[in-house]
Amino acid sequence: MAEAVCRPRAGGGRSRPRGAGRASATAPRRYRWAAVPPVALLGLFFLYPLGLVVQQSLHPDTGGTSFRAYAGVFASASFRDALGTTVWIALASTLGCLVLGFLLALVIAFVPFPGARAVARFADVYLSFPSFLITLALLFLYGTTGIIGSFPFLATPWGVLLAEVTYFTPFVMRPLLAAFSQVDTAQIEAASSLGARAPRIVARVILPEALPALAAGGSLVLVLCLNEFGIVLFTGAKGVTTLPMLVYSKAILESDYPGACVVAVVNVLISVGLYGLYRLVSRRAGA
Amino acid sequence: MLVHSRGARWAVWAVFGVLFLPLFALPLLVVLGASFATHWSGALPSGMTVANFRSATRGDALDALTTSLVTAVTASLLALAVGTWAALAAARLKERHRRIVDALFVLPLAVPSVVVGLSLLVAFSKPPMLLNGTRWIVILAHTVLVTSFAHQSVSAAITRLDPAYEQAAASLGARPAYVLWRVRLPLLLPSLTAAAGLCFALSMGELSATMMLYPPDWTPLPVLIYSATDRGALFAGSALAVVLMAATLIVLSAVSRVRNKASYR
Amino acid sequence: MSSGIRFDSVSVAYGGNVVLDSLDLTVEPGEVMALLGPSGSGKTTALRAVAGFVRPVSGRVFLGERDVTDLPPYRRGIGMVVQQYALFPHLRVADNVAFGLRARRTARAEVRQRVAEALEMTGMTAYARRHPRELSGGQQQRVAIARALAIRPGVLLLDEPLSALDARLRSGMLAELARLHRELPDVSILYVTHDQVEALTLADRIAVMDRARLRACGTPAELYRAPADEFTASFVGGANLLPVTVGSGGVDFAGVPVKVDTAGVAAGARATLCVRPHAVGLGEGPNRLVGTVTEVQWRGATHRLYVAVGGQVVMADLRELRDPPGFGDDVALHFAPEDAVLLPAGVSRG
Repeated sequence: MAEAVCRPRAGGGRSRPRGAGRASATAPRRYRWAAVPPVALLGLFFLYPLGLVVQQSLHPDTGGTSFRAYAGVFASASFRDALGTTVWIALASTLGCLVLGFLLALVIAFVPFPGARAVARFADVYLSFPSFLITLALLFLYGTTGIIGSFPFLATPWGVLLAEVTYFTPFVMRPLLAAFSQVDTAQIEAASSLGARAPRIVARVILPEALPALAAGGSLVLVLCLNEFGIVLFTGAKGVTTLPMLVYSKAILESDYPGACVVAVVNVLISVGLYGLYRLVSRRAGA
Repeated sequence: MLVHSRGARWAVWAVFGVLFLPLFALPLLVVLGASFATHWSGALPSGMTVANFRSATRGDALDALTTSLVTAVTASLLALAVGTWAALAAARLKERHRRIVDALFVLPLAVPSVVVGLSLLVAFSKPPMLLNGTRWIVILAHTVLVTSFAHQSVSAAITRLDPAYEQAAASLGARPAYVLWRVRLPLLLPSLTAAAGLCFALSMGELSATMMLYPPDWTPLPVLIYSATDRGALFAGSALAVVLMAATLIVLSAVSRVRNKASYR
Repeated sequence: MSSGIRFDSVSVAYGGNVVLDSLDLTVEPGEVMALLGPSGSGKTTALRAVAGFVRPVSGRVFLGERDVTDLPPYRRGIGMVVQQYALFPHLRVADNVAFGLRARRTARAEVRQRVAEALEMTGMTAYARRHPRELSGGQQQRVAIARALAIRPGVLLLDEPLSALDARLRSGMLAELARLHRELPDVSILYVTHDQVEALTLADRIAVMDRARLRACGTPAELYRAPADEFTASFVGGANLLPVTVGSGGVDFAGVPVKVDTAGVAAGARATLCVRPHAVGLGEGPNRLVGTVTEVQWRGATHRLYVAVGGQVVMADLRELRDPPGFGDDVALHFAPEDAVLLPAGVSRG
């Protein structure tokens, strides 16, 4: 035994080794600059243009002082209408998608029927189609020469709401189905063997497990609804104007770029703000 | 199983059918049915024809399909490259810096597509980078929009990747570049192809930014569908929509075949 | 290439939490050193410091004469096998084994020859074309070892290599590892395990780790027969640890005088008497203890008795008894003075 080379140290107080306190890296942290090129590309093609939009909204090329464009836009009734419409449709659609998506995913996962898997796959395929298809179909069903009849509601916010709930519900179902597949069936069996009825099991066992997925799906749907353009465009309704519609019509139809930029800035602030808030809340709820 | 009695189960399924079929299955069936019809005033479409498809697969419509496919493939590959690069590089950063990079790459998802279109219009309408009026501004917009999705799915896959593999490779003497090329990327391949499919589908259906940007000689299919329905040609529009869906599904199933081959577990 | 490993006051900490505290340890060239300890004792951290996956906050790590503390893992030239093997799922067995050689741009002909050699040595030649998912746990284990050996490392690091195998395979693999080491006598092996049987079977020396520190280091026989402290005694082999007071020429245990070598311990001091259960006999003899049986366990070849003696429980492993005492019986136990070791009084363990 080589006594000199392995000396067990006598017991006693644990001495802090020199330099302890900083986390030691698992590997040499090199390649720190590897993140620069993709971030630079994002900066050039996304952040810089976005910055120009903000700048245009404050200092239009056409001259004029800052905030004039804002004052003009805020004063217009069409903007205030669009703002209100956008937010309430988005909130209502999100709520609708959450409720509907939860119910449908619940049935697929826990009361499975022959073909339930096919239905789940169908929801996946749905995600890969553009949103305006739904409006196109609704035009056949409820449009002026509609099959079910000519209902004027398609040209109202309710039509947009119906289309958005239809289109975005699979966005909630997908993370929910993934979360439900993680729920331990033994838990549900244990709960029902203890005499709990289905609604109670859903509320006490399944819902808590599903909360992070609901939060994630909900935040995604909320922001997608706030930004939805195709569905509104296809209804062709003059009565429904959302913020993205307003950006489009100001920029392309009226060539009012400063005005479009102002609306764009407001739209971005709402979307990014709500999305950030939702992420924050859901991270706390999920933790 | 959550619901035990037979009756209750049937009741649940009935509710499911009542919700699911009219909301989700009906719209697609309607579009599909209309694409073969010239009239639809009763319960079923009438005047069955394939003429809609004949015109939906030639001339302008065929150009639009090619345009969409080229745009979607180019944008997906670019987005995949940038998103993967960013995700791989961010994974090596400290927690705080990684969060910043992740947040930056999620941002295009939260910003309305219309605004992305507007911002590109504002930024690239004058020299030195005069892209407005060219196909490149459409492809650029699609790339920006789908990069978030590519980055997010690759990032999620990287966090799931067991570090034991790269450590084993490093202990065997493989330099980081070799580990990336021979171990990490092959292990990420299934997620990369999934991300590519997602990006492709999103780009195929993109309308918002495209409406702001498309030049007359680069008209993607969704724009053509819109102009058809806008002038009241709903049946022709349906046929175009079915062509769009079919093209998307064909490419997606090809991608998922590649993915199945690439997954080892 | 034979090199050996030397830890020179190596400390590792994560955010102020010390997980390895000033480790000094040398593994001689060609030696098998087991790092034995419970989970959280710092043994895996020590191994990862050699591999280069954790960076010490202080101290140096040497491979042979080479200071590798600041080298990245891929420049260290060590072989490593981890608990879950980490075979590359997208590569066939032969390509897994060739990985390290190709990463070093070894000539193609030599790769082929060394892969064949490594597969031969681990008995996996027939599986060269398979993917890892098509192999059983034991076969994956062999491939992982072949992969590590193909680069002809001077040092082999094994991190709980058998813990993912079931008990029967484990003893077979132990023999296999011993054979491999006989075939590669120059390779130093650092073997991390929490299983004392693996350590006693395989190791030339055992380093016992506990709570980020090295507790003891020695040959299996030394640690077993003359453990340096209570932790080592109970972790290596199991032991009766009885609180005693030192007298002259013996100790006092629960009022009973016991004969034992007291050299180097002052009279009147408190100490711990360490006696292995199998050294305790039933019936009359030297160092006689009388107590009441509190439990009898039949373990096939042996009976284990738990006997309450003056408020302490003494364990005795006896060759299978025809007529074992029952619960509540009074029995006499004895042990030879040379089978007992006096340890410094216990630093109480949590």
